[in-house]
Amino acid sequence: MNEEQDQVLVRRTLRGDKKAFEMIVQKYQRPLLSYVGRMVGDRELALDFTQDVFVRAYASLRSYEPQYKFSTWLFKIASNLVIDHWRKKRLPTFSLSESLGEDGDCLTLDVPDDEPAVARQFELADLRQRIETALEKLPGPLRELFVWRHVNELSYEEMAEIKGLPLGTIKNRVFQAKEMVRRILREMS
Amino acid sequence: MSCFKIKEIYDYIEGSLSPERREELERHLGVCPRCRRAVEDRKLIAGAASSLPPLAVPDDFTDRVMALITPVKVKHPAWLIILASASSLLALTAMVMIASGKSALGTISGASHSFWEYVKSAAVLTAKVATLLTLAGKTVRPLLEAVYKGLSVLTAFIHPWLQVLILVLAMGFVVSLFFGMRKKFSLGD
Repeated sequence: MNEEQDQVLVRRTLRGDKKAFEMIVQKYQRPLLSYVGRMVGDRELALDFTQDVFVRAYASLRSYEPQYKFSTWLFKIASNLVIDHWRKKRLPTFSLSESLGEDGDCLTLDVPDDEPAVARQFELADLRQRIETALEKLPGPLRELFVWRHVNELSYEEMAEIKGLPLGTIKNRVFQAKEMVRRILREMS
Repeated sequence: MSCFKIKEIYDYIEGSLSPERREELERHLGVCPRCRRAVEDRKLIAGAASSLPPLAVPDDFTDRVMALITPVKVKHPAWLIILASASSLLALTAMVMIASGKSALGTISGASHSFWEYVKSAAVLTAKVATLLTLAGKTVRPLLEAVYKGLSVLTAFIHPWLQVLILVLAMGFVVSLFFGMRKKFSLGD
């Protein structure tokens, strides 16, 4: 995502050019909806939330600091909305800096085991569908990182910036998320 | 050689493993079917996850967002506001002088007349200004509003330094108009 172009669009929006903000919306509506949709699991709600992300971004555009990536700032707004939603719905959530406990921390293998491969037995389309189902079963905070990494293609540094956590913590959690998805796929097969 | 850790296998898939470790791992993969299977399985899952289709955005989504946002208040620097106010005051003074039949110097020299004379001329002048402003308020207000809106839109697109240049030119034009009119109507001292 072209950062320089984003900065130009932000400056134009701040000068009152609504067309520039429209271009921002067009650029980010799809990646944001793809993220929010997988976080809340309801299309209409995801559309409302994505809409809300842009409205909030527009209202607080003056507080955006250009030394940070604009896309990162948008995803941070979206992530806060999603976490608020999880809390209101009393969905299980946890801080990524906390331990996952036995269930989470011990689920990942240190070295490869003798179990058969999971992915090979499925066609690509089927595997994609199964990954979507596996994501629904993944704890929210890990699902968020998995989607950012694979769907939105955010770097570990960008994710660390959004979550305000050390890079090592993020890398470790993404690793756990990937291994958990694989374990769910294995259970599904 | 012992098996590689799964974290390193992910680093290898993502291309972030050091060249030395990558070479070691590739050598190891040649002799270890377990690690080979682990790499292949995770590669397939990562590939499928990275090609998950984006969620479809409705055609009218951008319009819906844009309908919800209120225009950003364009922030002008204080000096620009002062300059604009000063030029407006100058223009208004010029209009009043022309309408009242008094020149600027005439008004100033009037201050040296007797106090009563000054009060009388000030009262006449105030009454004329009030009449003029009331009239202007009724007739010119819609026009001024339209001009203001037009200027707001224009200033959003014009660079601040260019705005200053335009203001200075406008002030010069008003001043030259004032002196030109004074000459024409023989209002000079």
